[in-house]
Amino acid sequence: MSVDEDDSEMDFSEDDCGYEDYYNTAEDCDVEQIDLYKTDPEYFAFECLNVEQVERLLNESVEMLSNNLQITPSLAKMLLHNHEWGCLTITAEYRRDAGRLLVTSCVKPPVPPDTSNSSSSVGMRISCPVCVSSILWDKFSSLCCGHSFCNMCWAMHFEVQITAGISTGISCMAKGCEVLAPEDFVLTLLTKPQLRDKYQQFAFKDYVKSHPQLRFCPGPNCQVVLRSKEPKAKRAICSYCKTMFCFRCGGDYHAPTDCNTIRKWLTKCADDSETANYISAHTKDCPRCHICIEKNGGCNHMQCYNCKHDFCWMCLGDWKCHGSEYYECSRYKENPNIANESAHAQAREALKKYLHYYERWENHCKSLRLEEQTLTKIKSRINIKVMNSSGTWIDWQYLMDAAALLAKCRYTLQYTYPYAYYMEPGPRKELFEYQQAQLEAEIENLSWKIERAESTDRGELENQIDIAEKRRTTLLKDFLEV
Amino acid sequence: MANNIAAQRIQREFKEVIKSDEVAKCAIRVELVNDNYTELKGEIAGPPDTPYEGGNFVLEIKVPETYPFNPPKVRFITKIWHPNISSVTGAICLDILRDQWAAAMTLRTVLLSLQALMAAAEPDDPQDAVVAKQYKDDQEMFRLTAKHWTAKYAGGPGGNPDFEMKIRRLTDMGVEEDQARVALSSYNWDLERATEQLFS
Ligand SMILES: [Zn+2]
Ligand SMILES: [Zn+2]
Ligand SMILES: [Zn+2]
Ligand SMILES: [Zn+2]
Ligand SMILES: [Zn+2]
Ligand SMILES: [Zn+2]
Repeated sequence: MSVDEDDSEMDFSEDDCGYEDYYNTAEDCDVEQIDLYKTDPEYFAFECLNVEQVERLLNESVEMLSNNLQITPSLAKMLLHNHEWGCLTITAEYRRDAGRLLVTSCVKPPVPPDTSNSSSSVGMRISCPVCVSSILWDKFSSLCCGHSFCNMCWAMHFEVQITAGISTGISCMAKGCEVLAPEDFVLTLLTKPQLRDKYQQFAFKDYVKSHPQLRFCPGPNCQVVLRSKEPKAKRAICSYCKTMFCFRCGGDYHAPTDCNTIRKWLTKCADDSETANYISAHTKDCPRCHICIEKNGGCNHMQCYNCKHDFCWMCLGDWKCHGSEYYECSRYKENPNIANESAHAQAREALKKYLHYYERWENHCKSLRLEEQTLTKIKSRINIKVMNSSGTWIDWQYLMDAAALLAKCRYTLQYTYPYAYYMEPGPRKELFEYQQAQLEAEIENLSWKIERAESTDRGELENQIDIAEKRRTTLLKDFLEV
Repeated sequence: MANNIAAQRIQREFKEVIKSDEVAKCAIRVELVNDNYTELKGEIAGPPDTPYEGGNFVLEIKVPETYPFNPPKVRFITKIWHPNISSVTGAICLDILRDQWAAAMTLRTVLLSLQALMAAAEPDDPQDAVVAKQYKDDQEMFRLTAKHWTAKYAGGPGGNPDFEMKIRRLTDMGVEEDQARVALSSYNWDLERATEQLFS
C-alpha cells in the first residue's frame, strides 16, 4: 500500500465519521459565532436528541467503521464502545496492528483457539461443561475464543448478567476467558422478549455513556440525550425538562468553579454539615435593638421591623456604610501570622475560614429559594395592580424579567464562594474578591428594589439589571476556565 | 429451571472432588450438608511451608439457585489469621468469588484457589485491615500469630507458651478467650495495649 493511498483512505474515514461538521465549523465559522464565544463566556453549542436520533447517530459511526475495516457491524460497535467512539483512532490502530487491537478490546482471545478436536458428526452428543448435560452438538455455540457451551446455558448466563445490570460487559463462561459477547451473539441466543428489551436498553445506556459527545439529561425521568462536539464544563440546558447542568460532569452547573473543585467542595460540605448546621438558622438578632428578626426574602439588605435599622444579614454591619465597603463583607480576612500559631489555633482558623465561605454559599442558596417565593408574590401584586387599572401585564413584564435575571446572577454568585475558598492568596484572588463584591452589591440592590417595586417606571431597574449582568459576565470572562 | 442445573452440577462436582488427586493427597474434601445440594461443607488442608501447615480448615459453601451462573457463597468456619479473610466473620476477599467468577469454574477450582490464597496472601486487597497491616509491617509477628491461630482453631501443631500466658492473664481478668486472642493478635501481643483496648 502506497503512502498516498493510505492518506486518501484516512480522509475518507474522517469525513464519514461525523468529523465533517466539526472541521466545517472550524473553517467557515461565521463571524457571528466567533462573536458569541467572545461576548458570552458561557456560550455553548449543543443539541438535544431523542432516543431515535441518538440511535441513528451511533449507527452512522457503526456502519462507517464496519465498511472501512470490512468487519461486521456488531464487531464495529464493540470496538467503538471500547474506544470512546473514536473512528479515526480505531481505524489507525486496526491498520497498524489489528490482532493487538482485537485482543486488548477483548474481542479476540490472546491465544487462538485449538480447533483440532472440533470434528463433529450428525447426531453426536457432547457434554456441556456448565450444565453437565449431554446435548446434540448442533445445540452448542461459542465466541471466537472457541469455548463451546450449550445454547441453553448461554441464554441462562445472559439472563443472570442482564438481571445484574450488565450488557456490553458480558464475557465468555470459560475460566479466565475475557472475550466479550457481541450484541448479535447475545440477541441470537436470548429468546425472552422482556430480557431482549432490557439488554438493548442497558446496552444503549452503555453506548451513550462511552460516547464523549453525548450526555443523558440528569433531569428526573427525562429521556433526552444532549450532544456537544466540545464536551466542556459548560452550561447545558435540556430543551425538554429545562434541567440545567454542567455538560462535563453532569452535576449542577457550577461556573466559575471547575468540576473537580465543586466536587471537593460539595464533599466537604456534606462531611462538615454538622459543624455548619448552627449557622444556617433562619433568624438573627438586630444589631441595634437586639430583637429577633426572621429572614423572609432573598435580599441581604435587612431592615429591622422594630427600630427600622438597616443592616447587612451576612456581616451585621450598618447598611449605610456597606455600599463602599462591600468588599469587606464578602472577603475572608486571613490571619497573616497563622503559620506561627499552634496546631489547635490553626484548626480553629481553618474552620473559621471554611464557615465564612460556607455561610455565604448557603445563604445565597437560601436566597434563591426565597426569591422564588417572592416571584409568586410579585405576580399577585401585579395582578392587583392590573385589576386596579394601574398598568397592563405588558407594562409590568419588566419586573418578571428582572426577577429572572436576579436569579441567574445570584446563582453565579453562589458558585463564586467555593471558587474563592480554594484560591491561593495573592493579587488574582484579590481581583476575584473585588469583582465578587461588586456583583454581590449589585445583586442585593436589585433584590431590594424588585421586592419593593411600585411603579411601571422601568428605567432605573432596567439600568440596574444591565449593570448586574455586566458584572456577572466580566467575572466569568476573567475567571471561567474551560 | 436454573436450580435444576445447580443440583445437576453439584452432584457431578461432588463426584469430581471425591475422585480427584487432591482428595487422594488429603488436600481438599467436600461433604454434603443437606439432600438438596444447596449447602456443602468444604475442607482445606493448610498448605505446606505456611503458618497454616498441619491445620484443617472448614468452609461453609452455600450454592445459590443461579449456580453456576453466579458463584457459590463461601466463608471460613474455622477461625483463621489471614489478610484476605476476616478474623471475625470468616468472610473471604477473592476475585473468583465475585466478578471474576466464570460458569465453567467448579467447587474444585474454588477450593484450590483458596488453598493458593492461603499460601500467597494479597495484602493490597485486604479483607481484614488489621491483619493486612501486621502482614506488611512485621512478617515474623504475622507468621507467629497465624501459626498460633492454626494450632488453636485448626488443630495445627505446636503451641506458643508466651502467647498462652498472655491470654491467660486476660481471661483471669474476666475477658472471654477468643476476644482476648483477637485483641492481643491485633496489638502484636503487647499485653498492655491489648488490655487498654479491651477495657476502654
Ligand atoms: Zn449447558
Ligand atoms: Zn472463551
Ligand atoms: Zn431533560
Ligand atoms: Zn462540571
Ligand atoms: Zn432593630
Ligand atoms: Zn455585610
